[in-house]
Amino acid sequence: MMEISKNIETLKACRFCPMCRHVCTSGNISFHESDYPRGRGLILDNILEKRMEYTSDLVQSIYNCCLCGLCWSNCEGGYMPHKLILSSRTDIAEKGMAPEAALKILESIESGKNPYGRKSNAYKGTGKKADFLYFMGDYIKFSGHPIADSVINIMKKAGQEYAILEEEPTDGKIMAILGFRGKAANAAKSLKKRFKDIGAKKIVVSDPLSYDCLKNDFPGYGIDLDARVMHISEYLEECISKGKIKVGKVNDTVTLLDSEFLGRFNGIYKAPRKIIKAVAGSSFKEMEKNGKYSLATGEAAFLFNEKTGVMGKMIGSRLCEAVNYIDAGIAVTLSGAAKENLGKCSNIKIFEISEFIWQNIK
Amino acid sequence: MAGIKKPSYMFDMVLFELADIVGRENVSTRQADKIAYSVDYYWVPELWHDRGMEKPCPDYIVFPSATDEVSKIMAVANEYKIPVTVWGGGAGSQGGALAVDGGIILDTKKLNKVYDIDLKSMTADTGAGIIMQHLEDMLERYGVSTMHIPASTYCSTLAGFIVHRGTGVLSTRYGKMEDMIVSMEVVLPTGEVINTPVVPKTASGPDLNWLFIGSEGTLGIITRVKLTLKKLPEVRRFQAFIFKDLASGLEMGRRLKVEGLRPSVIRLYDEAETRGQVKRVLGIDKKGFYLVYGLEGFADIIELESKKAFNIGRELKGEDLGENPGKKWWDNRYKFFFPPYCFALPQAYGTCDTVAAYSDIEKIYWAMKKAAESRFDSIRFIGHFSHWFEWGAMLYARFIFDDPPEDPHQALYQYNEAWNVTVRAALKNGGVINEHHGVGLKLSRFMKEQYKDSFKLIKGLKEMVDPKGILNPYKMGLGKE
Repeated sequence: MMEISKNIETLKACRFCPMCRHVCTSGNISFHESDYPRGRGLILDNILEKRMEYTSDLVQSIYNCCLCGLCWSNCEGGYMPHKLILSSRTDIAEKGMAPEAALKILESIESGKNPYGRKSNAYKGTGKKADFLYFMGDYIKFSGHPIADSVINIMKKAGQEYAILEEEPTDGKIMAILGFRGKAANAAKSLKKRFKDIGAKKIVVSDPLSYDCLKNDFPGYGIDLDARVMHISEYLEECISKGKIKVGKVNDTVTLLDSEFLGRFNGIYKAPRKIIKAVAGSSFKEMEKNGKYSLATGEAAFLFNEKTGVMGKMIGSRLCEAVNYIDAGIAVTLSGAAKENLGKCSNIKIFEISEFIWQNIK
Repeated sequence: MAGIKKPSYMFDMVLFELADIVGRENVSTRQADKIAYSVDYYWVPELWHDRGMEKPCPDYIVFPSATDEVSKIMAVANEYKIPVTVWGGGAGSQGGALAVDGGIILDTKKLNKVYDIDLKSMTADTGAGIIMQHLEDMLERYGVSTMHIPASTYCSTLAGFIVHRGTGVLSTRYGKMEDMIVSMEVVLPTGEVINTPVVPKTASGPDLNWLFIGSEGTLGIITRVKLTLKKLPEVRRFQAFIFKDLASGLEMGRRLKVEGLRPSVIRLYDEAETRGQVKRVLGIDKKGFYLVYGLEGFADIIELESKKAFNIGRELKGEDLGENPGKKWWDNRYKFFFPPYCFALPQAYGTCDTVAAYSDIEKIYWAMKKAAESRFDSIRFIGHFSHWFEWGAMLYARFIFDDPPEDPHQALYQYNEAWNVTVRAALKNGGVINEHHGVGLKLSRFMKEQYKDSFKLIKGLKEMVDPKGILNPYKMGLGKE
């Protein structure tokens, strides 16, 4: 049975519906009808009804989706096209039709290299046993060392005993996003064993992809984590509210870029705001589109037209324009990927949330 | 004239020429796009898709981002006599965006640059391919709006509304899309670029804007538009009533419009729609004819207008539902058009909107209903009156077959017959074939019935501006070449 058949209601609803066109991230980058949920619905309907087989051309449209979930947020019917896309990618990968670029990312992950294709060293772990585990996730492990440094500095300041897995393995989230669900499940099982071995009772994660993976994917694989999972923003909020760390004030206007995988898919909106407001006070300013309706940050924008690294930049330039519009001097992101996608946005200082707190800690 | 068939070296030659104009990344011959551009919001291609039938699809889809590119594409199309169909959002319900004869689909969504927002003159100068909600999002930053906000604002383009003579939910106060045009830039089918006069109220001959308003991409491609803006109101208030009969509801709407008040919204639902859609979407469980009206502007003025309007409702013995059910409609006004709230296959359904003078509009409603129900046992007929003018009102009538024939040919035949009986009932009783949505393929056959001898003027105009008949063939009753 095809995985997409599990999302048949969404498929049949989306195939003729253009009502989320105005918010679709990939569609409003390429403007191709095949890059909107309606176009993808038509394609997948043909596949489901066995009128055609996947071709590399059709596969491209399915992988152009950045899974931001804005279509779902704006759907009065509550349909979830991002779930349909994930299920179709699983079907595609099982047929051996995954795009070359996706296979390269998979190969990098499986060989313990940077999935984003850059030459970089993995962040070193502590190796010791501890109740409290900091889990970086695939992005920060390779490409976001300053973020990890900030987290560690804050934990030390808070007097927190912690551990980091030595040679931190992947959580499998990127594999799952690219359709390699079986491999993702195996990675998750291996990781669970590592969590158990280290004795983790509380796991604090930086990457929203990892948070979503531990919270939602693991139960889907039948894995009971037996540990409390927190996003770093939730941990920081706890530290500030319990007085474990004290933060200073900034005079600049600060805004928050909500995360699709943390906010839209897991409802975490309050904690990041609380800690930013602790620093920024009344100079915190919401983005024009925020919360449920926030713009995509490109956390899962791995491929576009079979190329890597392209879509994130396009998403970043839209974000930059939006931050500039509200005249914020500082933009705080909830993921390393969002920070990278924003890139060098003129006149704006960009921090991942741990970096922002560490910069302003007393 | 027909699309250039693949494989042939001419296919590649034309592809090269198109790519030379817009760049290779802006010409698609991909299977994925052909699938997506072979179905618009018309019920027939949806049916055809659902039944696995072969659909007409384009050979090339091009994405120009500048007027000169559109001009050059048209020159190439003329050279090789290739049909060109313009695609905005593909959200039209009449089949107007379908490449029936193959050829080129020219997607206008990249013509989306906003050139100027002039808050002194209250105009916006923008690329015509912009998705309307994107324009509205930008305008909202300045506290202004076009006030053209139909449900399709999420998915349709500005030019799409102009060429189909769109009507928004606030049209009763602010007019239809066609009333908001200051000037336009248009690429003619031959590739020439023309501009209409800088302002519209000149007495120097016919208004050129009106040649292209409602032309459905048959006479030219609108590439840039200057349109009027309005300030967002200080307050927006709503009030709902239930009327026991249609005549009282219609009289309420008429008096709201003609007695010097300035309602932005008047929507009167028939009994069937009140019991159906209104209950389902808004949760208002009432028998009768649900009417909601809206007033907007300065708070003190609206306070006074609200009292006057409310008194009319009382005089006509409407049951006061209060402000909240009205506000509820406003907050959920687009919800009606999302699945699962909208009609969808396997149902067969059509919106046979029409407009007529106040003296005729009720008669038309009953005539259309009777025509539909006497012809088909299995048809449902519902309607609401949602756009009101000084002289008359628009009926947004709909027919629904919940269980149409499985065979697509039979289903299409039944569907067309339903159109025949409803549209002809409107024409016979003082109405017209539509009020908005345009003509497209769906209503083409009725154009001559409505215009009679004067249709030759439209036909002659088409022959003059498009001598090779390449722009959007088969649409609007203009046939092919």
